[in-house]
Amino acid sequence: MPTEVKAELVGNVWKVEAKPGDTVEEDDILVILESMKMEIPVVAPVAGTVKEIRVKEQDVVKEGQVLAVIE
Amino acid sequence: MAEEFGARVEDLQARRRRNLGMGGPERISRQRERGKLTVRERIDLLFDPGSFVEFGLLAHQQSLRGQPVSDPAETPADGVVTGHGQVDGRQVWVIAYDFTVMAGSMGQVGEQFKAARVRELAMRYRKPIVWLLDSAGARIQEAAGSTFAGSGFLFYDQVQMSGVIPQVAAMLGPCAAGTAYIPGLADFVPMVKGTSSMSLGGARLVKAATGEDVTDHDMGGSQVHCYESGVGDNEVADDRECIATVRRFLSYLPSSNAEPPPLAECEDPPDRLVEGLEQIVPASPRAAYDVRKVIKAISDRESWFEIKPTWARNIVVGFTRFGGRAAGIVASQPLHKGGILDCDAADKAARFIRMCDAFNVPLVYLVDVPGFLVGSAVEKQGIIRHGAKMLYATSEASVPKITVVMRKAYGAGYFVMCGKGYYPDLLVAWPFAEISVMGPEGAVNIIFNKVIEQAENPEEKRAQLLQQIRETISPYIAAGWAMIDDVIDPAETRRVIVQGLVQAQGKDLDRPWRKHGNIPV
Repeated sequence: MPTEVKAELVGNVWKVEAKPGDTVEEDDILVILESMKMEIPVVAPVAGTVKEIRVKEQDVVKEGQVLAVIE
Repeated sequence: MAEEFGARVEDLQARRRRNLGMGGPERISRQRERGKLTVRERIDLLFDPGSFVEFGLLAHQQSLRGQPVSDPAETPADGVVTGHGQVDGRQVWVIAYDFTVMAGSMGQVGEQFKAARVRELAMRYRKPIVWLLDSAGARIQEAAGSTFAGSGFLFYDQVQMSGVIPQVAAMLGPCAAGTAYIPGLADFVPMVKGTSSMSLGGARLVKAATGEDVTDHDMGGSQVHCYESGVGDNEVADDRECIATVRRFLSYLPSSNAEPPPLAECEDPPDRLVEGLEQIVPASPRAAYDVRKVIKAISDRESWFEIKPTWARNIVVGFTRFGGRAAGIVASQPLHKGGILDCDAADKAARFIRMCDAFNVPLVYLVDVPGFLVGSAVEKQGIIRHGAKMLYATSEASVPKITVVMRKAYGAGYFVMCGKGYYPDLLVAWPFAEISVMGPEGAVNIIFNKVIEQAENPEEKRAQLLQQIRETISPYIAAGWAMIDDVIDPAETRRVIVQGLVQAQGKDLDRPWRKHGNIPV
């Protein structure tokens, strides 16, 4: 079952910390957003393999937008 | 005569035994198969051993569609167990629905006489009230028809109780239809994962009314209410944990608004220096950390009790103790959404602040807030209206208020987190605190937009101006103006909070009379 990882709020993608194929544990950081001048880590909600990273650094993302998919 | 006397007493004992047997062995075993305890097991867990005093044990259903009911043995206690007992030695009243008797449905006897009696007496003596909810809702067979015109007192009573006595609605099973307003009006709503649910209409009613196919659990389980809607407070694993959580909640509150919260024994020295904060809080104001670690470090050991831990996680609220004194914590949570305030966070904080204020629990604000979220999405959600609730609650709170600015306190975030303008009893900052209308990066772009654009080397100019602004943001500037009371070593935080609570314990604000204000609900 793939799990979609979504943005909690509107912001910019500051850093992408994982790439497709990576094995991640629960709570590992996938992407760091920047919003309201804060670094907002987006973590893996489950352990698994990163299937997709759908954003790149500097992208603007909306609340609820899918940033990554974990399988 | 003695024979007659004995026979009558034996008859009484038989009636008691029958009603203590609830809905009978078969329905009790079905209750257990669902992973639930019986109503009487729950009451034993709620109260100190041997302290429960039952009212209305011998009650039973009286009529069905206007016809008298022939066999009282079918409906022991009319499906609701009521009375009082002691929680940590203090009187608490209970209304506990028994799912083994007519699915715990609310009948005329149970509601209009038994539950109403408990509500009346709890208010008469100013003692807390606990509902143990496991009920199919109103007993439609009894309630259908226009005698409905005489119902509804329950919620009116709850509103009268609000802010006078603590009200807890423990969700241990279904709670459908209008009865869902019991938790809706209560001060604390723990929900058992898997078995509890609440919704204004149960699944069958929803199907009939709108055609939607949904289960009670999917519509109103703890996953919905403790994570998405915020109607539930704390998700718990089972009945035992639920009732332990109720006892814990009550331990921080007085029996009524006329009393101070109970003092707990405290072996943790009030003047203990807090070690290891530098391992928890990063120096960069942009970086995330878990503020709950700070709360645990400064609180009396094992005293932190978080409320709504899984909803609007960008703000943390809950009870704790400092030197045995109960306090309500309102803390920014940089770990989630950077600690930015949005609509749900403001609602969560406002509701908690008002509960603390109603029951004389002092407030401690731990501030590390980049401000309110801005943009078109939150404006559509009404962020101004929701944010105003938090301004309102913080302004109105007349309990002791202590504010510790840990790192950022930007803009209206500083206001709602009890900045100077909100009359804290003590306002201190850590040495790297940044109190400002906004962060330096935001400020430089707005104030010097044109200067930067017109510069030969915009980036260099921007960096230079940024440094210039940074120099205007320092806790020593605020302290130099005496706008804040002190700058403290973070290690002194616990001691300073205890001192503040002691300093303000006699606080008694006199404000102009009004019927009530108009909080922007």
